[in-house]
Amino acid sequence: MSKRRAVWLAGLLALGTIALAQPKTVTGYGNLGVAPGKAGGSLTLALGSAPQTLFYYGAVDSAIQALANQMFDGLIEYNLGNYKIEPGLAVSWSIGGGSKVYTFNLRRGVKWHDGRDFTADDVVFTYSQIVANPEARGGDAGNFAGVKIEKLDPYKVRFTLPKPAPAFIHYMRLPIMPKHKLLPFSQEGGKAPAEINNAWPTNVNPQEVVGTGPFRLQSYTAGQQITLVKNPDYWKRDAEGTALPYLDRLQYLIITDSQARVAQFLAGNLGQINITGAEFPDLKRREVQGAPFKVVQFRALFGSPPHLAFNFDAKNPDLARLFRNSDFRRAIQFAVNRQRVIEDVYNGLAELPGNGMAPVSEWYYDTRKLLGTYDLKAANAALDKLGLKRGPDGIRLLPSGKPLEFTLTYGSNSAAFTGIATILQNDLRQVGVKVNLQGILAANLLSTGRGKDWEAIILGLGDQPDPELRTPIWKPGGALYYWHQSTQPATPEGAPQFNNFLPWEKEIYDIWEKAASTTNVTQRKALYDRWQAIFAREAMVIMIAKEYAAGAVSNRYGNYVYSLGVIPGYNPVPLMFQR
Amino acid sequence: MWTFVFKRFLVAIPTLLLISVLVFAVIQLQPGGFLENMLEDPRVSRETVERIRQQYLLDQPVWVQYVNWLAGVVRGDFGYSFLNNRPVSELIWERLGWTVFLALVTIFATWVIAIPLGIYTALRRHGFGATLANFIGYFGLATPDFLVALLLIFAVLSAGGTSVGGLFSPQYIDAPWSWAKVVDMLGHLWIPIIVIGLDGTASIMRQMRANMLDVLSQDYVRTARSKGLAERVVLWKHAVRNAINPLISIAGLSLPNLISSTIIASIVLNLPTIGPFLYDSLLNKDQYVVMALLMMSAVLLMIGNLLADLALAWADPRIRYE
Repeated sequence: MSKRRAVWLAGLLALGTIALAQPKTVTGYGNLGVAPGKAGGSLTLALGSAPQTLFYYGAVDSAIQALANQMFDGLIEYNLGNYKIEPGLAVSWSIGGGSKVYTFNLRRGVKWHDGRDFTADDVVFTYSQIVANPEARGGDAGNFAGVKIEKLDPYKVRFTLPKPAPAFIHYMRLPIMPKHKLLPFSQEGGKAPAEINNAWPTNVNPQEVVGTGPFRLQSYTAGQQITLVKNPDYWKRDAEGTALPYLDRLQYLIITDSQARVAQFLAGNLGQINITGAEFPDLKRREVQGAPFKVVQFRALFGSPPHLAFNFDAKNPDLARLFRNSDFRRAIQFAVNRQRVIEDVYNGLAELPGNGMAPVSEWYYDTRKLLGTYDLKAANAALDKLGLKRGPDGIRLLPSGKPLEFTLTYGSNSAAFTGIATILQNDLRQVGVKVNLQGILAANLLSTGRGKDWEAIILGLGDQPDPELRTPIWKPGGALYYWHQSTQPATPEGAPQFNNFLPWEKEIYDIWEKAASTTNVTQRKALYDRWQAIFAREAMVIMIAKEYAAGAVSNRYGNYVYSLGVIPGYNPVPLMFQR
Repeated sequence: MWTFVFKRFLVAIPTLLLISVLVFAVIQLQPGGFLENMLEDPRVSRETVERIRQQYLLDQPVWVQYVNWLAGVVRGDFGYSFLNNRPVSELIWERLGWTVFLALVTIFATWVIAIPLGIYTALRRHGFGATLANFIGYFGLATPDFLVALLLIFAVLSAGGTSVGGLFSPQYIDAPWSWAKVVDMLGHLWIPIIVIGLDGTASIMRQMRANMLDVLSQDYVRTARSKGLAERVVLWKHAVRNAINPLISIAGLSLPNLISSTIIASIVLNLPTIGPFLYDSLLNKDQYVVMALLMMSAVLLMIGNLLADLALAWADPRIRYE
């Protein structure tokens, strides 16, 4: 090879590497108020609890979920406006082989925070050694059982599924971890499977925690704050070609108490907070009076709308029989004053709920007509029709002659749940149903619901962008189908107890079975539409309201888009800038 | 004297064992736990929860868990935190510095303010100053600390201040020590001192006042006065020294407050102390952290009592442990 040719070749190679870098241009959020910003500045946010670990898969913990969103990326991510799936660390993908083979082309030129190249090895390592590891506390072994993960070339990976799973693409939003740092904790590195949980504890050297995300870890002061600094090599650009993120520093203060968060925000120590409907009026009033911040509300997809559930397997057999009866639940639904809840409890910052899907979701089926309207006369008539006669004190009597009363469990440290519980108690008394309130810690609601000691409960379970992701909740016999526990498998690996299914539950079960192996979007949508209609028609659980997302942001910052912070693949923070 | 101390240590061992059994039993009675709530996350399946239960040996009978824990304690291992996947002792150690600092500062401020005020209000029983001090004292006793905290935060916000929680402004938390950092801390510190200390100051002041009034009417005070001693000597040498004795026992009892008394105030004020950590662990049933903290509290109570007894013997020649 002549010298000249060698130079040419070297030049071409250099050009090639530059051309190979594939930044993603983030555009099209004009309707969310996003405009080109300027680089620099810092932002302080709040975390509701201290992180339990700095390793995303080491715990199910909202603090590390929020932090991981800033430090790591998934193969895919969500569009901030419409929640559609967009390229992340993967630039493109194809689905073939009867919807069982997913092939991802990875973004070239992406660097880990320590300068190493991101490649297919990291993806294969993350999914095969961590996500699919059943001992990883924050892994997802359930959805990756039997999935074959292969590297085809340094920038191409293939997932081969044992059976079609239409929502599989959503699992590709999980954060990709660096193989070169985590290999020593993995089975591939010769360790026991559970050892992976010991990676990156909270006292780890921050230099060890490397991701590909917009920010990298600088320091953690136990129980007080986490500091992240800008990743100068991040792979996103704005419409004008400016590198994202704009901010140089991102600080998280750990503040448990929501009042304390608001106080810190008012004092100017926090740049942005998420608030509830209860906090909205005061902050809005201050904004109108000229305080230097904006309070904004969004119809959001994520978030946990409360529902009223009855225990189909209540210990009292009279009540259990009644609770299983859809006519009874529909009668109760007539006495649920959703408008009042929306006005009084959420200060107007809520809307009529969907049934299992958020109203903004593309999967939402309009069930508003099936939800019925608040009508105490209709409730009375329906209860009369069930043969529940009123006793001398106005309380209806069960067939056994005992009064119709039950305990309603709610989260007493949640202002919203307390408000809903009292409104329900009041209205139900007027139709001759006696409700005894039992307040417990909101954090214990789910475990109480999954136990046997409850009769009725107010509980919220989070909405997701694809119904398939909520299978354990809505498919009869699922781990979180807690209101009819006698449908759940008797043994952990067993089949649901079909003999205990109600006819409409069987119908829903069949729909979910079919939808789980249908990949055609239109057909899936039709199936899930039918499920939502049955859900609403049978008042499986009585959905109460869907709260809007509300946040407050200091005027010092631009390009604020609301986010819960903890949803993998939904991260608007890189777009925020300091004015 | 040393026999006395030694005996007290021997008695402490069965007491602590009994306390540990009780605490462990009470933790088990609490419903729920962190494992159940994990299921709400779409990536967690029932199998994962079972695996974790096994990893933590939570599938073992309760008494086995207890015996394991006890065996660990004997070896100096206080178990690990389920939530943090790290040894309990490390986690406590991380938070101990600020906890002890805050407690010492508060206790110091409390005594320095309360004792003179108690003496003052006893001597000038009907003066304006005493009435004012008494009023503030009653207010402090009657108002829960978290409410005082909220009121102070509101006052600071209304005055346009920014130090409404924590011990530092955000930019100083990680910063190395400097004069500016100390000033910033002092700007934050007065709120927790008032919030945590008000209650104690008020009660010690009232006690001191009552003791003083009691002592001042004693015969030996009259005798001292009648033999012509200066009022200063009567007051400090005869009255105060006798009046302060009962407070020494109270001081001993206040040691465990280091951990448990300031939970709510610490949460409202966002202080980096052990209180919120204990609260979190209780909510999540992080049992070994709870055990360690509650046992620490029990040990501190015993040590505090012992120290108080020794201090009493030192301060009062009439008391001897032989």
